[in-house]
Amino acid sequence: MSAPHAVTVLLEDRLITLTRAVGLIRRRNLPVRSIAVGPTATPGLSRLTIMIQSDDSAADRAVKHLQKMIGVREATSFAAQDGVARELALVKVRAPAERYGELLDVVQLYHASVVDDSPEAMIVELTGSEAFVLSCIRALERFEVLEVARSGAVALEAGR
Amino acid sequence: MTEHLTGAQILCQALLDEGVEILFGYPGGAIMPFYHALPEHPGLRHVLVRHEQAAAHAADGYARASGRAGVCVATSGPGATNLVTGLATAHMDNTPVVAITGQVARAMMGRDAFQETDIIGITQPITKHSWLVEDAGELADVVRDAFAVAQEGRPGPVLIDIPKDVQNQKVEWKGGKGGMDGKDGKVAEGYALPSLPSLQAAAQLIAEARRPLIMAGHGIVLSNAYGELRAFAEKTGIPVITTLLGISGFPESHPLHLGMPGMHGEVHVNRAIQQADLILGVGLRFDDRVTGNLAGFARGAKLIHLELDPSEIGKNVPVTVALVGDARELLGRLIEAVPSRTCEEWREEIAGFVRPRAESFRGGLSPEGILEAIDLISGRCTIVSDVGQHQMWVAKLFRYQRPNTHITSGGLGTMGFAVPAAMGVVLARPGEPVWAISGDGGFQMNMQEIATMVQEGIPVKMAIFNNGYLGMVRQWQQFFHGRRYSATPIWSPDYVRLAEAYGIPGWRVETAGEVEQAVQAAIDRPGPALVEFQIEQEANVYPMIPPGASLSEPIESEAISPRLAPV
Repeated sequence: MSAPHAVTVLLEDRLITLTRAVGLIRRRNLPVRSIAVGPTATPGLSRLTIMIQSDDSAADRAVKHLQKMIGVREATSFAAQDGVARELALVKVRAPAERYGELLDVVQLYHASVVDDSPEAMIVELTGSEAFVLSCIRALERFEVLEVARSGAVALEAGR
Repeated sequence: MTEHLTGAQILCQALLDEGVEILFGYPGGAIMPFYHALPEHPGLRHVLVRHEQAAAHAADGYARASGRAGVCVATSGPGATNLVTGLATAHMDNTPVVAITGQVARAMMGRDAFQETDIIGITQPITKHSWLVEDAGELADVVRDAFAVAQEGRPGPVLIDIPKDVQNQKVEWKGGKGGMDGKDGKVAEGYALPSLPSLQAAAQLIAEARRPLIMAGHGIVLSNAYGELRAFAEKTGIPVITTLLGISGFPESHPLHLGMPGMHGEVHVNRAIQQADLILGVGLRFDDRVTGNLAGFARGAKLIHLELDPSEIGKNVPVTVALVGDARELLGRLIEAVPSRTCEEWREEIAGFVRPRAESFRGGLSPEGILEAIDLISGRCTIVSDVGQHQMWVAKLFRYQRPNTHITSGGLGTMGFAVPAAMGVVLARPGEPVWAISGDGGFQMNMQEIATMVQEGIPVKMAIFNNGYLGMVRQWQQFFHGRRYSATPIWSPDYVRLAEAYGIPGWRVETAGEVEQAVQAAIDRPGPALVEFQIEQEANVYPMIPPGASLSEPIESEAISPRLAPV
């Protein structure tokens, strides 16, 4: 059954290894929802998180292909419901002076924070599941949303 | 006193340390420092090809015939991009090829310099791995790692891209440390042996099956599992099917040998698959040309898959028991685990499926007649085929007895492969006749390599099956496109005079009566030789499973096929 899966890959933090890993996902035609990459606790290693919409066997096959790659130390996959997946979004939003308070209420409701408050627009930072982030952005769209930057999800499997 | 060498000298030394004797290549601006160093290392024989694609195919042929990595060399830009088809061919068929490319100097990289191309990026999906060497001090280790990656596990091509200034860079020579420094265990790591329960489960399935089949693929050749496959088949009495790349993995005179499966597989082979209750797949990847429509493939059969690469398990077909590992080792263990048995009834049943070939050929000049003459007259020889109709005839009609004597581009289906690949095969098997058999289309894709054969003294015996068409495409047009022969009639030069122009002997054969004499003459004359066979123009390869159909729906001849009506 098709469901969100996280494929997480520990790889050497070289661009060539990253492009190889991402190229493999593209080549095997997997339906990608998001890709995120960043450093790990181990120097020289990055963690690549690819969220895909697929059945268990497609995710498992992606992992087996990734495990063969030189420069990939570890690759695993799990259904998103079996772990925690979070993403961060920055939303640049503008509200007329008379709706400023209303905008701050929305920010508070989503436990988001205002990280920049310039005269022309403010930048709101929010974190959560993909659905939560989307819902918050929808709420902010009641005002004038100028730009959205989303990180793509990072995920860890629960337990183990 | 420590020695200081240039990157180019280190590269030569590192290649010698890997046991390399032959390189196929073509010089150019960004690889000139390497070519400057080459004459200082007489242990490295360089074969100057006429097109870099041929260098990659020749390295591929050398690797397939010798079991050791083949090496090709090209300059940056167009030299490097010309390697691409050859590397893709090697990648699909799991051949160890090490490609070395020059790159523009480091300071010029990323500025669209003259003859700069991102060959690492271009070849990423068709190499096992690649290295951009940014310091000559790393070169020796990179070369060692590259050969290890290419040859170990499931083999494949790798690429080393070396900027020109790195080739000129002088560094202290300490010899290669190699071995990836434990940074990445993938090279040295063996595969975990399958658990005892899965071996026992496989053995039990084999013991209980009433209609079992072995499907043997390229893994038999790559792991040198000929003896084990034969012993296993003989102990269990299970008939053996060989896929296109599995051909010559099992002697064809053996009573247990069935033939080739798939799109152009024999009717009795495909029917056996469809009737089987157990298929033991060894070292194959269940390619679509083998399985036909997956939904209709071997529906009554359980499947045991012996395969080195875990990502192949369950990729195309669902597997009952998977045994991951080297084919030779796994078969060796299975032999001990299975009881002796025969499959008399089942084999008799399959024998009842056999259909006689009933086609007529112009001048009596049939593919089987030509191949029989080549077989009889050449003795111990290796056949390298190209891609198309002749490839199927060569696969199905030649009686391969010795291991690894059938070499062809299977997965990628690369026309133009045979002539250059055969040069590599000859150099890996000196003293043994090697036939490059091509159609008139594929031959014209790389016939410039006759010049290489002449200059380097490489005695390839070339056979051209000339039907004046791109025959396989024409056959598809006949069957599925209402005989609209769009862009398939193909003109050929006078091949005998072409041979003459290159200074080699050539013969034209138009009737069955001339075959033996021409083949004999080609074998008797030292050096390269060419024989053109003018075969029936509209001969077809039968049987044929139409694309998308199941193995149960073959076209067996023009007369009985309902699909031959114009679309």
